[in-house]
Amino acid sequence: MSDDFAFWLSYLTNGKHLTWYASFQFTIFAAAFGGTLAVIFGLIGATLKNSRFLTLRVIGTIYSSIVRGVPDVLFFLFFPLAFEQGVEWLIATQVCSPEMIAAQSAAWPPCKDANWFLGTPEYLVLASVSLGLVYGAFATNVIHGALRSVPQGQLEAARAYGMSANQVLWRVQIRQMWVYALPGLSNVWMLIIKATSLLSLLQIADIVLWADRLGAPNFLPAVGLVHADWRWRYYLVLFVFYILITWISEKSFDAIMRRAGRGILSEAR
Amino acid sequence: MKKLILTAAALLALGSATQAQETVRIATEGAYAPWNFLNDAGEPAGFEIDLGNAICAKAAITCEFIINDWDSIIPNLLAGNYDVIMAGMSITDERLETIDFTQNYFPPDPSLFVAAAGAGIDPTALEGKRVGVQGGTIQAAYAEENLAAKNTVVSFGTADQAMADLAAGNLDTIIADGAYLEPVVAASSGALEFVGEEVMIGNGVGAGLRKDEAELKTKFDDALTALKADGTVDKLIAQWFEGRGPYFAE
Repeated sequence: MSDDFAFWLSYLTNGKHLTWYASFQFTIFAAAFGGTLAVIFGLIGATLKNSRFLTLRVIGTIYSSIVRGVPDVLFFLFFPLAFEQGVEWLIATQVCSPEMIAAQSAAWPPCKDANWFLGTPEYLVLASVSLGLVYGAFATNVIHGALRSVPQGQLEAARAYGMSANQVLWRVQIRQMWVYALPGLSNVWMLIIKATSLLSLLQIADIVLWADRLGAPNFLPAVGLVHADWRWRYYLVLFVFYILITWISEKSFDAIMRRAGRGILSEAR
Repeated sequence: MKKLILTAAALLALGSATQAQETVRIATEGAYAPWNFLNDAGEPAGFEIDLGNAICAKAAITCEFIINDWDSIIPNLLAGNYDVIMAGMSITDERLETIDFTQNYFPPDPSLFVAAAGAGIDPTALEGKRVGVQGGTIQAAYAEENLAAKNTVVSFGTADQAMADLAAGNLDTIIADGAYLEPVVAASSGALEFVGEEVMIGNGVGAGLRKDEAELKTKFDDALTALKADGTVDKLIAQWFEGRGPYFAE
């Protein structure tokens, strides 16, 4: 029995598994950074949609309606690639001479010195920005709606006290809108958590990729422990991880909701 | 702010470009044992890693192995993310149109069909079967050309995933490199068996390089010639493929 225990302990703590455990940081980072960006883009988008100027309103509306309609996987693949090639094009205009361009055998980048090698950190940031952009469009709608749900009487009272338009926006409208926005934002957050499972699409060795590799059947003793198809066991761990994150998120949102609702008398609570 | 990000990105890119000149970066898949795989420590290991290190020692260059998915391994070579591919890649005319190869470091090796033991699969008369391949391989091209009309050809990201689906009964048969399948079938304790005849596709396995890297190609070719002559390549084949061969010295 203790032999068994020692064996499994050493199996589950070998370098491969440690790398897998460490890869959870990518998922958590992408969710946290992507979520923060989504709220920021959402605030910007909602401000644009509420703007007095037609052009800004149109930009805000286009952003929230078009980006919401594009599948997240597609955007996830499109945005980092487009950004990378845009940067490479920009570098190429600075460093490439005509001879270097003529010597380049591949179709892209224009010359070899203009190549931007994307490693895991770069892809992780780009992935988070993609998540922020996609879910920021959803957050735009949520926040836009929440801003309009703040009772008109509150805003009128603030104006009657002599607050400027900016003061009304920041001290009253945005301060009170969280109560209406948080249920919607918690939904957006859950969607972001789910979308973090796409990280392996961008060459990031994330938890899903490692679960796949560790669980694949192995027949060769030279490679490691010989075992059958164990993928479902590893997927089960991911399953539990995501449920745990969901549970923690719900608890946290309850707490934030209580805090945001202090002193506000409203049916939204 | 945007300008700042772009400048930072540009600096980063230039930094990595100068770094690339010092060490030769070799890309491998890391999911094709015993050619290349990730060992228990999570590091690349296998026949091609040992051979690559031997080549670099012989040619007196510093090398570094990096992991890249199979399906994007040629595009990323062309983009310049690394300089060499050593990932069990067979030399074919199609691939030679876009990239260069060194001389082969693994002799032409027959492809084989594998199926569950006693399933009664006959590769010469496959009809209405599910045939598994790894996408973008010579066997995938072969199956597409010869088997796709009467059967369903299912393409997988890695060879291991195809094996997992064969073991789960989702596939009737798999066609893959003999040198990959032989240790797997031997270790399956009778659950899997080879069916039908060998199929010869490809001209052996070589290291892939960009076409403008003539100097690096010469270095690799010279080192390989020396390592074949002194028996190092055969020794590594014997070590990693459990004495099965095929060998260069005969």
